[in-house]
Amino acid sequence: MAEKEASPQKGLSPGKRLQLRRASQVFFLGVFLVLFLWSRREFYLNPSLVSGFKEKLVNLPLQLDPLVMIAQFLASRTLVAGALLALITVAITLLLGRVWCGWFCPVGTVLDWIPLRSWKKKQPSLPEGLRGIKYVLLLVILIAAGLGNLSLLIFDPLTIGYRTLTTAVWPGLDRLFTALELAAFKVPFLGSAVSWIDSLARPVIIPAHPAVYRYSLLYLGFFAGLVGLNVLAPRFWCRYLCPLGGFLGLLGKFSLVHCEISESCSLCGSCLPSCPTGAIQKGEKVFCDPGECTMCLACAVDCPTGQVTFPAQSAGFIRQPYDLDRRKALISLGAAAVGVGLLESGLVNDRISPKLIRPPGVENDKFLSICIRCGECSTVCPTNAIQMAVFEGGVEGFWTPVLVPRIGYCDYSCQACGQVCPVAAIPPLTLELKRVQVLGKAEIDRDRCLPWAENTECIVCEEMCPVPDKAIELEVVEVETSEGEKHLLQRPTVIRKLCIGCGICENKCPVDGQAAIQVSAHTAAGQAGGRQRRGHGPQ
Amino acid sequence: MTELSRRNFLRFLTACLGSLGSLYLAGCLNRQKLLTRSISPEKISPSPFLSDATQPSTSVESIEGPTETKAVTDTPSPTAAYPDLVVARGGEPGEMVRAVVAALGGMGLFVKAGDVVVVKPNICVAYHGYEYAATTNPWVVGEVVRLALEAGAKQVKVMDFPFGGTGEQAYRVSGIQAEVQKAGGRMVEMTAVKFLPAEIPGGKDLKTARIYDDVLRADVLINLPIAKHHQLAGLTLAMKNLMGVIYDRPFMHANLGQRLADLSTRVRSHLVIVDAVRMLMANGPTGGNLSDVKKADTIIASPNIVSADSYAATLFGIEPEQISYIKKGAQMGLGIKNLSKLKIEEINLG
Repeated sequence: MAEKEASPQKGLSPGKRLQLRRASQVFFLGVFLVLFLWSRREFYLNPSLVSGFKEKLVNLPLQLDPLVMIAQFLASRTLVAGALLALITVAITLLLGRVWCGWFCPVGTVLDWIPLRSWKKKQPSLPEGLRGIKYVLLLVILIAAGLGNLSLLIFDPLTIGYRTLTTAVWPGLDRLFTALELAAFKVPFLGSAVSWIDSLARPVIIPAHPAVYRYSLLYLGFFAGLVGLNVLAPRFWCRYLCPLGGFLGLLGKFSLVHCEISESCSLCGSCLPSCPTGAIQKGEKVFCDPGECTMCLACAVDCPTGQVTFPAQSAGFIRQPYDLDRRKALISLGAAAVGVGLLESGLVNDRISPKLIRPPGVENDKFLSICIRCGECSTVCPTNAIQMAVFEGGVEGFWTPVLVPRIGYCDYSCQACGQVCPVAAIPPLTLELKRVQVLGKAEIDRDRCLPWAENTECIVCEEMCPVPDKAIELEVVEVETSEGEKHLLQRPTVIRKLCIGCGICENKCPVDGQAAIQVSAHTAAGQAGGRQRRGHGPQ
Repeated sequence: MTELSRRNFLRFLTACLGSLGSLYLAGCLNRQKLLTRSISPEKISPSPFLSDATQPSTSVESIEGPTETKAVTDTPSPTAAYPDLVVARGGEPGEMVRAVVAALGGMGLFVKAGDVVVVKPNICVAYHGYEYAATTNPWVVGEVVRLALEAGAKQVKVMDFPFGGTGEQAYRVSGIQAEVQKAGGRMVEMTAVKFLPAEIPGGKDLKTARIYDDVLRADVLINLPIAKHHQLAGLTLAMKNLMGVIYDRPFMHANLGQRLADLSTRVRSHLVIVDAVRMLMANGPTGGNLSDVKKADTIIASPNIVSADSYAATLFGIEPEQISYIKKGAQMGLGIKNLSKLKIEEINLG
């Protein structure tokens, strides 16, 4: 792999090595984007059962992420296929330090590229103790995972990356591109050129039909917040907050290759401001903490006398005041236990929202302990039916997938979410099996439905229903108009036992605003594995 | 890099925005033209315009005045060299297509060298293969593409805008993509932006609609519906098939017959070939039961959309009069629905 050649070796000048690192960042961000784009179309176009190669490739970044894989293993008590790939990252970190952060991580790369240097009037000096946050966050995530809760994986950098790309960046690009196209269409003689460009860009890069995600601003705001923190300190997120960075930092403490400043250093201090994570401390001598160093090589370039070396021999563990200690561990344990306990106790256990419609095949009671909140299902859903829950799933289910039929329907010929899910929280099913999964049941609101409420002809829900025998029945009735004229009218009713809750009826219902036919999550009373309820059910 | 002063930057910005703005304004002048861009008269299908409407329609371009309309009304096809409608039965799909087009006078009558041809099959869902008769037979589409290219078409684009699943999925699942590519045609994924607002001057109820740009720009439109059941329209045939070129479909359902007839005045099908190789007899338009499918091995072709639909309706044992859009289309003078007034050629390949 590339990181082997990229490891600091004698022979390459520091400047060359720095260029190599930047190339690596560009390359891996590119790979991340290409996989993202590829996954958007590849899965719904080929709805056959998991073929192996594609899924492995698309999910490679997440499988290399040890935090996600370990937490998922702890919470679900099963080892998902490909999870052991995370050991590669662990091995590389033990060998070369936090190269993940400096060389590969897509979020880290973006944070490097937007340093917001000119925004800083003066560098505030932040307490070093803040560095401990990432370790506490890491421990809380792992302990909570041990207790079966994965809610905090929303703070993993890769899940942040997928979420932001899916819900904010790509829809935004789509809208911009569309606006440009529409403006250009009005310019004389440009029509056919625009048409041609459109056919090149869509649907390969930009969706053919506008991608819709609720709360796009929330996701963009979250990411913009991470970037904005750069004003306080470069790579603020990576230094102080990132739980994956914390995990790799713990390993990095023991890394073989590390940044060392030789004894003959003149203590000029030029390396101090160049370090993006502030890992270099100047005391009686200059010291670089391998747990904080991302192996970015900036210090080696900036050192006027070439004192920075990267020897391949472990320096041994040197404890820093901000490192994980007993106190932090106890705080984490307490926070995780109290948090999970409260979520489980029913204080915040309002999980029975009828709008919490899960993707096909999901077992609701286990789902929250399996789903890693990466949002890839939302990325690949061709109709944008899969959104990320903000209110539907309660605090525990924040940013887990939920179907919103008014935005998109679950396509009868698509099994993309089950195929892409890296942890099989949405199970990979054959298309035949997926087609009989019941997501919910449609209900007609007769006070809004055109044929019921206004005696107007409309059969859109019946027309759209993909079930071979049609889960919507049309009953012919004779109605009288206001002028006293009699005519025949077809009125829809749902055949509950045939309805699979795909939501295409709700999606296409021509009634403005709230649809006159709506899908509610399917809850079979008393069924094993049903939802938790408040109050006293039959025991 | 030289520093750009604020003043210069603002100047630059003003210049850019100014030029863009003036282009935009120039575009607005052109907008009216864009909206009313229509198919030029010489490109209208070669068969003379037929009508059994009682009142003359002013909305149809090729009918000049009331007296002439009267004359055309009762005597179909004065040139009479070719039949008004051809039906083939019993052969392979491709073979039947070749036979009906030849009997109508050959593809050369419809497609001229260098034309851009749009073929509009019915690929309304991505759920099932062609055996389920929810989508047009792939070999019918393939053969039409081949014939159009043989007639010298510059480009043959095949497209539909499915309501269930994406175009890409539906093209592949229906089997149409494979046959079209084999024949040398291009499958086009219809994108939202290119459904541009267009006026429908001949429309009685539907006055404007967002119609797909490629369809309006095409020199020739070949309409390839599959004959199938539909709960509201009764049947989905050629005029109903035009639903696939507009964006806001639920809106159409309120006054479906009239609005489809209105749409047909704007989006003119130069050649209509109805695929009744397999007919979907119930649970349309999506299908999914093989027991709802009837193998009829029939292909109907006509340059006139109302006539083609009228004949296709009889295959279901339904009078053309009973299908709202056929009735409205005939009333508007878009064609003859009375089959006894048509010169029909039947070809038996079985």
